[in-house]
Amino acid sequence: MEIKEETLKHVAKIARLSLSEEEVEKFKNQLNQVLEAFKKIDEVDTSNLEPSFHPIEIKNVLREDEEKKWEWDPLANTKLKEEKYFKGPKIV
Amino acid sequence: MKVKIGLEIHVHVNSKSKLFCSCPTNYENAEPNELTCPICLGFPGSKPKVNKKVIDSALMVAKALNCEIARETFFSRKNYFYPDMAKNFQITQYEIPLAKNGFLELNEKKIRIRRVHVEEDPAKLIHVGGNITSAQYVLVDYNRSGIPLLEIVTEPDFESTKEVREFLSKLVSILEHLEIYDASKEAALRVDANISIEGGEKVELKNITGFANVEKALNYEIVRQQNLKKMGLAVERETRHFDSQTKSTVSLRKKEFEEDYGYIFEPDLTKIEISEDWLKEIEKKMPELPEMKIRRFVESYGISEREAKIIVYTGKAFADFFEECSKLYKNFGNIAKWMVVDLLKCLNWNKISIKESKVTPRSFVELLKLIDSGKITQRTAKEIIKEFVATGKSPKEIVEEKGLSVLREDEKLKEIVEKVLKENERVVEDYLKGNEKALNFLIGLVLKESKMKADPKKARELILKIIQ
Amino acid sequence: MEEILEKAKKIQEKFSPFITIAEKVEFGKGKLSGIAISVKDNICTKNMRTTAGSKILENYVPPFDATVVEKCKREGAFIIGKTAMDEFGFGTFSTNCAFSIPKNPYDLKRSCGGSSGGAACLAAVADFPHIAIAESTGGSISCPASFCGVVGLTPTYGRVSRWGLIDYANSLDKIGCIGKTVEDVALLLSVIAGPDDFDSTVLNLPKEDFTRYLIEDVKNVRIGVPKEYFEVDEKIAKIVWDGIKILESNGASYEEISLPSTKYALYSYYIIAMAEASTNLAKFCGMRYGLELELKGNFDEYFSKVRGIGFGEEAKRRIILGTFARMAGFRDAYYLKALKVRTKIIQEFKQAFKKFDVLIAPTMPIVAPKFEEIEKLEPIEQYMMDVLTVAPNLAGIPHISIPCGFLNGLPVGMHIMADHLQEGKVLRVAYTFEKVKK
Repeated sequence: MEIKEETLKHVAKIARLSLSEEEVEKFKNQLNQVLEAFKKIDEVDTSNLEPSFHPIEIKNVLREDEEKKWEWDPLANTKLKEEKYFKGPKIV
Repeated sequence: MKVKIGLEIHVHVNSKSKLFCSCPTNYENAEPNELTCPICLGFPGSKPKVNKKVIDSALMVAKALNCEIARETFFSRKNYFYPDMAKNFQITQYEIPLAKNGFLELNEKKIRIRRVHVEEDPAKLIHVGGNITSAQYVLVDYNRSGIPLLEIVTEPDFESTKEVREFLSKLVSILEHLEIYDASKEAALRVDANISIEGGEKVELKNITGFANVEKALNYEIVRQQNLKKMGLAVERETRHFDSQTKSTVSLRKKEFEEDYGYIFEPDLTKIEISEDWLKEIEKKMPELPEMKIRRFVESYGISEREAKIIVYTGKAFADFFEECSKLYKNFGNIAKWMVVDLLKCLNWNKISIKESKVTPRSFVELLKLIDSGKITQRTAKEIIKEFVATGKSPKEIVEEKGLSVLREDEKLKEIVEKVLKENERVVEDYLKGNEKALNFLIGLVLKESKMKADPKKARELILKIIQ
Repeated sequence: MEEILEKAKKIQEKFSPFITIAEKVEFGKGKLSGIAISVKDNICTKNMRTTAGSKILENYVPPFDATVVEKCKREGAFIIGKTAMDEFGFGTFSTNCAFSIPKNPYDLKRSCGGSSGGAACLAAVADFPHIAIAESTGGSISCPASFCGVVGLTPTYGRVSRWGLIDYANSLDKIGCIGKTVEDVALLLSVIAGPDDFDSTVLNLPKEDFTRYLIEDVKNVRIGVPKEYFEVDEKIAKIVWDGIKILESNGASYEEISLPSTKYALYSYYIIAMAEASTNLAKFCGMRYGLELELKGNFDEYFSKVRGIGFGEEAKRRIILGTFARMAGFRDAYYLKALKVRTKIIQEFKQAFKKFDVLIAPTMPIVAPKFEEIEKLEPIEQYMMDVLTVAPNLAGIPHISIPCGFLNGLPVGMHIMADHLQEGKVLRVAYTFEKVKK
């Protein structure tokens, strides 16, 4: 399985990562090497196996519907704010 | 042209705390970002934990919609970037929803429910300096981030907006009865719709807020598509957004690429196994559903099915009001009759719900008793309803203040009759000479004098009595 | 007590294990009274800068403590500082750190291992009572412990709360301990393990005192020796075999076994880890906390720019690989397949533990490499270095790396693994070996 440059650029777009042309060039080869190796898991017979979501099966961890206010300043870690709102980039 | 519609409904589930954290959910009156914590703000190192009540609520809805409930379900991460997403992924359900393959019966057909699942709401965005396409930046309020949502997806079984309206009305009634949904919060219901006409391309309408807007949006879109077709143009497959200001659907500028959600299992949460015991517990806890209530009203109270349907579908509070009245007064048919016509008319005219009005079961029953006793006329009763819906004064008080009692009316009538007879002695003589028409003329005058409030029969009797 | 900070600063000058050193000393009362605890920099400390080794969190100061930090403070510990690590845990040599790169105490030109390199380094050189809180996803406690000649304990997945741990891969991350002795790590584990309301994946087990497993006795302990793990440098293999023989002479028995799925563990591990990591890192986008730029362009442009600047090369690689592995069309072949392979590996271990109390193998296939050697490695070659640690990490079984000997003056580690929740066995064997190997 080979990642073509368009695929790499497409994935970078989905992941919101801006890559320089050099990075694209470098990654293309490195990633293909890695994916070649990963492909080896095809050799494993997993026909009767369920996917494991955790190494130890844990189920039904739930909490009661109780309200509790968290005492803190949510805006303390950012400069991008206006009055009590967070500020963010426009959509379009 | 044949229309095909499918709906995706998002309902804000009533609970004290959010889906994955203990933040309070009453965001209507809160300051921006007041109801947040590291979890619903997605701070590094924070982890979610599932609110059991939300799952209970979802199970109740699944049962009410006749769905197959999963034995084991889990949450997934739906990955996409947006400024209203605290983590840039939404925790939702993908492969195995909580429930699927249900249905809701309308009068004429069954609408199939594809799936019911639980997910978290994103934050609220304000576009500053314009609308979504022209703003300079956004302001974000994360109070809504993490609010529990129920997503209900139907098959594209709708063939008209009328069916959609009937469906939503029934669905809302069920959700209200299950105490899951608060109709007074407009943002509590959001609908996405897929529409196509006569085998054309599917158009997706996103984020229509509130029941009323759904019909408007759908109607606009159907007409838009029909017009395109008439002009020989193709309907493009796209996503549109309903602008509640202009009441029209607007195309969202197409992205250069399609978001790939790349779902993975949510590894910070556990699988949820839904045991038989849990389901039995849900059944026991489940409030009465609308259809059951309607049947019970007909059987236990002997009212007509038509009246029962109106009472129940108007809303849970209205149905509760009926039952409260029934405890105080045993002529159930009478309660139903007066609620379904005059009380409802009054509430609708004032655009308020029974909860918002000042009427109490006690005062309503008092009114009915007054009518029974003959102390006031039917017409007067209607006046009183208008008054006490707005002021909450007891009927007796109103009768006193405005002198509306039959007795008082009789006195007033007597005064009017005496006045009319005095002023029209010639007509009286006319009648006594044998002219029947003269009597009618006198009655007419009395009615006119009383501003049409007098009872014509009584007026006639009284006139005759006095003349003789 | 102020001397401690002076000593820390001196250590920092020579070895660079810290990203942040505390400003003042605060000791309390309890089980950890008088002990300095260092915290790997991906674990949140309230009001103390926490970077996860990344530029994108260069000035991030968490508004809350991780549960493990809270527990240590309650037992009187002094949080001495935050230790250097590969960015977000992405690495085997701590060379992907955007700040200090820790240097091996045995040879300053060599790596401390990773990703908990700073923790292991400090554990080796601290000349005051100290135990390190570290974290492992695919071997990030064992590897640096092995390279630095100290003891690294990775508990069962779910033994310790992850609340406050900046996620690499949530179904693989485990917080653990690195110290000079087995007793140190057993003591710290006793403090940090236990149930926590804030983490849904924490096992609901009562608090345990793990120091009660520090018994010098391995009579009748059955040791499994997985042959696939010995396909390494024969000198390293010999050192570890010598260690197994010492245990045998103290009453244990051993037998070779085969774990055929071993070679697939690496791929399964990386696919799952990167898939989860790529979603965990999505939150870092220049809003709410972390690196921020001037708001220019739409959100696609702004987010991409911030992330392009804030993330290092390895982070970008893993985000791309992880995104790819779960993309439509590839998800079944990579992500879902890897989850099934994990099931198989867990099954294989469970089978083995029916017959054996512990499995013993070399921790790493090499000793600490030189920085210049590391630079020449391709990413896939770096990933392959984890081949011996990924399987127990993938399976979430408890394991410990203890110093077992030296090769050319550099430490070699022995890996002792046991079934889920059998920290007791791991500690007993490790403690005994520590005592008898002299």
